[in-house]
Amino acid sequence: MVEIRWHSRAGQGAVTGAKGLGSVVATTGKQVQAYALYGSAKRGAAMNAYNRIDDEPITNQETKMYPDYVFVIDPAMAFSDDITKNDKPDTQYIITTHLSKEDLIAEIPALHDKAERVHVVDCMQISLDTIGRAMPNTPILGAFMKVSKMYDLDFFLENMKKVLSKFPQKIIDANMEAITRAYNEVN
Amino acid sequence: MSTGSALASNKRGIRELGAEEMVGWDEVQQGVVLPSFEGDAAGIVNMHAEERNYADFNSYTATVASWRVIKPVYNRDICIDCQNCWVWCPDTSIISRDKQMLGIDYDHCKGCGVCVEVCPTNPKSLLMFNEAEENDEALAGWPQKEKKAK
Amino acid sequence: MAKEFELNEVEVWDGNYAASQALRQAQIDVVAAYPITPSTPIVEGYGAYVANGYVDGEFVMVESEHAAMSGCVGAAAAGGRVATATSSQGFALMSEVLYQASGMRLPIVLTVVNRALASPLNVRGDHSDMYMGRDSGWIQIDAFDAQEAYDLPLCAFRIGENHAVRLPVMVHQDGFTTSHKAQNVYPLKDAIAYKFVGDFVPVDEMLDFTRPVTHGAQTEEDWHYEHKAKQHKALMDSPAVIDEVFADFKELTGREYKRVESYMMEDAEVALVLLGSSVHTAVLAAKQLREEEGIKVGVVAPRCFRPFPYDLIRDALDKPSLKAVCCMDKSSPGGAMGALFNEVSAAAYSTNARPMMTNYIYGLGGRDFSVDEAKRIMKEQKAHADAGHITTNIQQFSGLRGPKLGFYEIRRS
Repeated sequence: MVEIRWHSRAGQGAVTGAKGLGSVVATTGKQVQAYALYGSAKRGAAMNAYNRIDDEPITNQETKMYPDYVFVIDPAMAFSDDITKNDKPDTQYIITTHLSKEDLIAEIPALHDKAERVHVVDCMQISLDTIGRAMPNTPILGAFMKVSKMYDLDFFLENMKKVLSKFPQKIIDANMEAITRAYNEVN
Repeated sequence: MSTGSALASNKRGIRELGAEEMVGWDEVQQGVVLPSFEGDAAGIVNMHAEERNYADFNSYTATVASWRVIKPVYNRDICIDCQNCWVWCPDTSIISRDKQMLGIDYDHCKGCGVCVEVCPTNPKSLLMFNEAEENDEALAGWPQKEKKAK
Repeated sequence: MAKEFELNEVEVWDGNYAASQALRQAQIDVVAAYPITPSTPIVEGYGAYVANGYVDGEFVMVESEHAAMSGCVGAAAAGGRVATATSSQGFALMSEVLYQASGMRLPIVLTVVNRALASPLNVRGDHSDMYMGRDSGWIQIDAFDAQEAYDLPLCAFRIGENHAVRLPVMVHQDGFTTSHKAQNVYPLKDAIAYKFVGDFVPVDEMLDFTRPVTHGAQTEEDWHYEHKAKQHKALMDSPAVIDEVFADFKELTGREYKRVESYMMEDAEVALVLLGSSVHTAVLAAKQLREEEGIKVGVVAPRCFRPFPYDLIRDALDKPSLKAVCCMDKSSPGGAMGALFNEVSAAAYSTNARPMMTNYIYGLGGRDFSVDEAKRIMKEQKAHADAGHITTNIQQFSGLRGPKLGFYEIRRS
């Protein structure tokens, strides 16, 4: 079982991102869950999204998880949210930030002893450059493919295209560019 | 993180929205009643927001500054105090006193950009900038008046 | 003629989308709806299918849930296949018309995405609305995940529309936990799904101008009682049809549903009885506890909440090994023991095992129910079994902040 917790703000596409990841993974014969925890919150409010991925049917319906990966797709939430909640010894952190990895870790005490498990990528800037607005949900998946080695980039891109097929070609292309850039830029 | 206005900084006990203490069933207020103010609120209608003794559960004592990705910056030099932004702001985050615009309440502004949209001056007196950008830098690079196309 | 909707063998759907696809495949004639969180996407989806030509039906926008169910009653009496969706306050506003629908014996399907009832206002899931419907004369079937939220509406049309039944059917799923959680769902092709549901065969339809009828007549003490008794008899007899439909569905898909789902009960010493998405979590906890500590735990889940499967619950609990049973209610009981506790205890009383019965209230307003908490409660039942008596209050609260809250103790001399 691979478990992923997203830290996001309503409107940044975490739910779409989590479902997109789930859709790609399900085409490979695996079982998935994609869900989110939010109430009547408005755009901008802090929220979590979650993925579970396994070879067997996933029966656990509890919200809480001990994540293998934590995605922080809003730069401010690395500071304001409890991103290391339910941390495991091998939990990997992929954080969107304009800071360098060293500067980010220096600012966040909870990450001080986890430096080797922290990966940074500026999904905000990447999405502004490519998609034209702050939409960090698809680029973070590119970074995730690099960090987790779950699938080849090309395989993932092909399948994400299908997931995004209801959008205009221009938006699909921009997302592909964003995913590729994040894949190459995460460190 | 945000450069709060002088007025906003007077507020006591500002906290992140949702960061209130989670008490048990024996301590919650019966009937889900939330007091607006601490103590006697007589005469409060004649006070400005920053003078009022808002209760902890009032959203005035909670900040949503971190919800913003982009923020409005206000340019006093161009503003004509028309109050359009004050009327339109959906979160009462334009601070105006005696019909004079003072600035933005960055603790409650969510960065929607409506104030910029409704600003009638040329150039605009309010513009959106990335949250991380310093206000001084934003003001230094303010655009010039646009000539009307003929 | 409606267009076919291209579906993959496996889709990643949440419970809402799954239910909306099932409604589309049943080719409903009329959906009258007033959308409400968290069930909005069900009727929103149906509206989109109509607009895009995937359903040859009509979406009627109304001004309230009361009007939504009233519209459904009218359309069903006219002689159409009818469905809608609601939750929480919307369900409460519908409640007056729910009784009309069942009394008029109209086979409407209502997909209910369970949500807490205010106050405090809350959009997240518990079983308050589902419990509110339990005396309304509807069949109530509970889906525990998104696959079931797709499968069970298909079954619901078959059950309700069967002329031996002719009753409205609610298909419940948990708000957010199921309705907004995407998972692998294996849908049927449109033609196969429709063939399973079958053509709608009307009864006493108002649009049959060769045989004009009145629906919704008034009665007093002279006729009312007989009609209610006949309605109750139809509900009590409906299990024969429900079982038959579930059997056909298994033959078609391999997916098996029973009016009472029971897990690892054969040798169980302690058991949890609960409803909804928590069932899966409890079964996982029971499996782990059997492996980790050798405690023989079982789980019983009424798939069919109404008609209440008194007989099958009794069978599930009538195990010589069974010592302690905890019934878990996800609805504020309002000054009583939980409804599941009361009904399951009544069934357990007629077993030879006569297990000790306790009650937990849990998950109100969407409070998370964890595997760890399920295990803690199971171990507490084991402590009752070992002690030979209930060691706690009979009614307790799970996952509640504040001092321990409990009511009633066993009388011991």
